[in-house]
Amino acid sequence: MKTLRNLLAAAALVLAGSTAVQAQTKTEIVFYHYQTGAPGQLMRDILNDFEKANPDVVVKDIFKQSEQITAEVQAALAARRPVDVTSVIGKNIVYFASSTPAVALNDPKNGDSSWLNGYLSNFLDAGRIGDKIYAIPHAYGTPQLYYNKDIFRKAGLDPDKPPRTWDEVIAAGKQIKEKTGLPGVAHLHAAMGDYGTMVMVTNAGGTYLTPDGTEAKFDSPEGIAVLQMWQDMAKSGIMPIANDQQWSAAFNAGQMGMYMTSSAGLRSTMKAAEGKFDLGVTNYPLWKNNPRKVNNSGAAIMMHAPEGPRRDASLKLIKYLSQQSVSNRWSRETGYMPLIRNPEADPAMAAYMKENPLVMSSISQMPETVPTATWPAEGTLEAQTHIKNMLDDLWAAKRPASQIVPETVKKVNEALAVNKKKS
Amino acid sequence: MTVRDSLVVLIGAARRQPADATGRVATAIRPLRRPATRLRIAPYLYVAPMLVLLVVFTYWPFFHTIYLSMVKWNLTPGAPMTFVGFRNYEGIVGSSLFDAAFRNTLIYIIASVPLKVLIPIPIAVFLWSLAQRGFAYRSVIFLPTLFSFTVVAVVFLWMLNPISGHFVQATRWFGGQFPNVMNDPDTAIWVILLISTWKVIGFNTLLYLAGLASINRDYIEAMRLDGAHDWTVMRHLIWPLLTPTTFFVLISTVIFAIQQVFTPIDIMTEGGPSNSTTNLFYMVYQYAFRTFNVGYGAAGTVMLFAFLLAITLIKVRVLDRHVHYQQ
Repeated sequence: MKTLRNLLAAAALVLAGSTAVQAQTKTEIVFYHYQTGAPGQLMRDILNDFEKANPDVVVKDIFKQSEQITAEVQAALAARRPVDVTSVIGKNIVYFASSTPAVALNDPKNGDSSWLNGYLSNFLDAGRIGDKIYAIPHAYGTPQLYYNKDIFRKAGLDPDKPPRTWDEVIAAGKQIKEKTGLPGVAHLHAAMGDYGTMVMVTNAGGTYLTPDGTEAKFDSPEGIAVLQMWQDMAKSGIMPIANDQQWSAAFNAGQMGMYMTSSAGLRSTMKAAEGKFDLGVTNYPLWKNNPRKVNNSGAAIMMHAPEGPRRDASLKLIKYLSQQSVSNRWSRETGYMPLIRNPEADPAMAAYMKENPLVMSSISQMPETVPTATWPAEGTLEAQTHIKNMLDDLWAAKRPASQIVPETVKKVNEALAVNKKKS
Repeated sequence: MTVRDSLVVLIGAARRQPADATGRVATAIRPLRRPATRLRIAPYLYVAPMLVLLVVFTYWPFFHTIYLSMVKWNLTPGAPMTFVGFRNYEGIVGSSLFDAAFRNTLIYIIASVPLKVLIPIPIAVFLWSLAQRGFAYRSVIFLPTLFSFTVVAVVFLWMLNPISGHFVQATRWFGGQFPNVMNDPDTAIWVILLISTWKVIGFNTLLYLAGLASINRDYIEAMRLDGAHDWTVMRHLIWPLLTPTTFFVLISTVIFAIQQVFTPIDIMTEGGPSNSTTNLFYMVYQYAFRTFNVGYGAAGTVMLFAFLLAITLIKVRVLDRHVHYQQ
């Protein structure tokens, strides 16, 4: 009896020891992201699949609101809490790369970097500083034109021939307003009035900010012309003055003809339109037949893991997320842009594209995407507030864009001047 | 010699002392001072846990904030903290955001006095006069206090939507046109103020009801017998006896006035249109957590603290003499 008890105790010790060894050999990495709801669940499912394929790695995912994620990651880094993989909002990539211990993904120390070739080169530009690549695209959106086909029909417009250029958008907006009494069109401005202005100016052929982010340039003739058009949209009443949430709610309620916003909202808009109105989606309008050039919205993935097992595990995760099948699944089930070259080469994606023609405009805009302009370290708050106030002044239509825009650019450059002095 | 040994010796000596004419052993009391010394430590031990919490979570962060307000740092570990003296304070006062933020802060504080301090008084007196019949109304008025401010802000944003909101649709139904209040710089701040008033009015009413509960209704009966009308009772009895509560509500409302509007500002306007709804509290948040300018954020926090401290001290000095404490 005593012998049996000793044997059992020994077996228990061996078992406990092996479990402890197993636990010790697992590496935990921390992944900060802002995906919630269905995309958040999908993210966890993908991470679970990754853990199954890599039993030596555990991924702890931490959700933070998109508006707060940059500050939360910054605070975690400051408090020296583990931060290994992070979703970083596009406009903060350069700041994170230069001000935090971010790791270049193509650093030779991190091994072969040929896996990065799967991404379109223009998608990697947002995270490229010199010859180093600090970020890979992940939750990218592209601006596109959503329109209500039922309102188009009521206004006497052809729902199968949506507007292709800005001139056609304005004409259709006026017709909708006249024939239905509903607002014709709106264009997102996004947080602090920045992204929408950037997209409009960039697509019109203007320069929004210099590449180092220290000087605004949108007082060019192209910039003034396109911002004058935005003022005219408000002045003529085809665009009600509101904010993004209000425009989005109105469009989803079937109360507005057209709305230009990110492709990231496609899934929720499709859901909102279901049984309510016939939804159409087309490319972002061309400016006077110039080639289309649109900035991406959304977030990229960066790595902060220190050298050693956590970095190895983080690299494994990033490479896993960069596989075409995983990346395309992410795109299909969230509505974000496909990120890997030739998405149609993946049979699952090809079938999805066939079943969901509304995604085609975001796919066709993949090569037309340029990186989001990045802001420097200092003066950003003042600069972005000046741009937001510029939109308020433009829409109030007390003075023309030719006066308001150069004044704003001057104020923005004064706020950013401190960065020039440093450099 | 240990403390215990000393006590044994002293108590033994006391026992040997002869009593005086009154029967008291005068010198025997003296050796008991040592336990008294021990007793003096006891209060400090009682307050120690709270003191530790205060030092760790209030005073240390406060002094560290003062230190951060004089350095240039972006929250990045290992990044150098450059001492810049008062330059952050100069920068924040010279910033293009400061004037609007300061002006709006004053509006939020001044407008909060009638909206959040005075309006709840008649509501509370009315509910108090209903006695038990007023319980249902109390619940209705207190209910908004329990709602999350984020939810409240989102719902109001939805209802005030200038295209498809409930207010617009209701007015359209009557043939009118509801003004675009959230996107007009002249009206947006008042919308934020009214929403925050709706949210906190129940809580302040509850505080006044607690103050009213301490008033003996016999006084009112006595005044009524003497022929006093409602207004006379209110003016000469209720109001004076309610002044301690009013004073507390005033101080707390002013201190929290600009914090209470933070969530609706962040969700509904982000400080716009044309900086018309921002305030010092929101500006500090933007500097510290949107652009990681820790020095500016800390300098703004210290200025805000000094500003609220000054207002509170003035109020205490000016108003405290008008407060009627029952005891």
